[in-house]
Amino acid sequence: MPSKKHLHIESSGQLCIYCGACVGICPLNCIYLDETRITFDEKVCTRCEVCVKACPVGAIEIG
Amino acid sequence: MPNLKTDVLVIGAGPAGSMTAKWAAKSGAQVLMIEKRQEIGSPVRCGEGMSKAWLSDVGIKPGRWINLEVEGARIYSPSEKVFEINEKHAGNEVGYVVERDEFDKQLAIDAGNAGVDVVLKTAAVGMLKENGRIVGAKVKRFGETFEVRAPVTIAADGFESQVGRWAGISTNISMRDMDTCLQYRMTNVDCDVRYCDFYLGKVAPGGYVWIFPKGDGLANVGIGVQVSQVTGMADARNYLDRWIDHHPGYAKGKKIDMVGGGVSISAPLKQTVGDGIMIVGDAARMIDPLTGGGIANGCIAGKICGTVAAEAVHAGTPTKEFFQKYEKGWRAVLEEKLYRNWLAKEKLVQLSDETFDKVIEALQDFKLEKLSVHNILKAVHEKYPEVTKEFEAFL
Repeated sequence: MPSKKHLHIESSGQLCIYCGACVGICPLNCIYLDETRITFDEKVCTRCEVCVKACPVGAIEIG
Repeated sequence: MPNLKTDVLVIGAGPAGSMTAKWAAKSGAQVLMIEKRQEIGSPVRCGEGMSKAWLSDVGIKPGRWINLEVEGARIYSPSEKVFEINEKHAGNEVGYVVERDEFDKQLAIDAGNAGVDVVLKTAAVGMLKENGRIVGAKVKRFGETFEVRAPVTIAADGFESQVGRWAGISTNISMRDMDTCLQYRMTNVDCDVRYCDFYLGKVAPGGYVWIFPKGDGLANVGIGVQVSQVTGMADARNYLDRWIDHHPGYAKGKKIDMVGGGVSISAPLKQTVGDGIMIVGDAARMIDPLTGGGIANGCIAGKICGTVAAEAVHAGTPTKEFFQKYEKGWRAVLEEKLYRNWLAKEKLVQLSDETFDKVIEALQDFKLEKLSVHNILKAVHEKYPEVTKEFEAFL
């Protein structure tokens, strides 16, 4: 099985504004917002990239 | 913290949550409302424009959360032809610019005064299930996890809602049905405090640019862009920055604050209740798909939701069947408009800038009595019948 692409959510505050847009759009409900920390479930995430588009400030990258 | 028991557990202390909690308590239920943030209403994630006619219906009194009262709204076409909506057309739709954090706090105060227990810095992390029904939630507070058991759980956890989905109710939305939003609070801008301004067309694909004046040259300047129209990273920010650069009255302003967020612009959900659970507000995708406004709908549904929650507690029947009273109740008031505006949105996002210009031009010349999708189409039909062909279903 090909390995999944790397997904990175920049949530140190450099870009991320903790708005939760990615959390709400994620079709698999696998992104979590904990005030100033965003995490996602590596195993559940399919790298569909919807969150990348939904992020208003470009804090999510897949590559 | 030891495990807790209550009649009604409300997850999320936004307007819909506080309103639900208040009405459940007023109807005699014991209510616990949890909020993951440390401060209700902050940070603000809102344009802060609000209509006003509905407020007295749900028992909200004017307060210091009112920033200013506007006379109307101005809609700008892509070539910046203006159509002005005033009190005469819109009646109750014209309203306030608000201090949203103060508003949320006032609603939580009202809930507290009605007897609701409010616990801050407490997040739901999972549901408690027994025989397929929801019987409360697992919550986390200061790093400690404990259980809150309740016959009725309310998911009022906003756009990024997870509670409904944990409970097995689909609240998923597609990229067509979401706007990604960014807003600056700007000072030293040339806005008119009498109007909220909206700019349509390719400046904000599938959405619009908004200006909500806050007085003394201060304004909320924001944008919503349909996610399915996004082609690059950070498009919302890039579109907004570009719009500001092209408007000297705003380009000279100073950005003093930035907020972002997601707004659902979807058709109403098929289902908002389950055994032991009801979903309300943005979490239930009750946002108006045309305007992006969610406060009024969340509060209107919250009043119904809270009342039904207490009735279910008293009757000892917190079941999906019993909650049909809420399901039917909010739909009777909100569903038709939500659905109609969703259809209108689906059409509007396909319009070219040229067509938007024609629509605004037609509206300028037409003596519009009452503002409605139907009347707007009538006005456009009179001048540009070819433009309304796509919309015949609405006429």
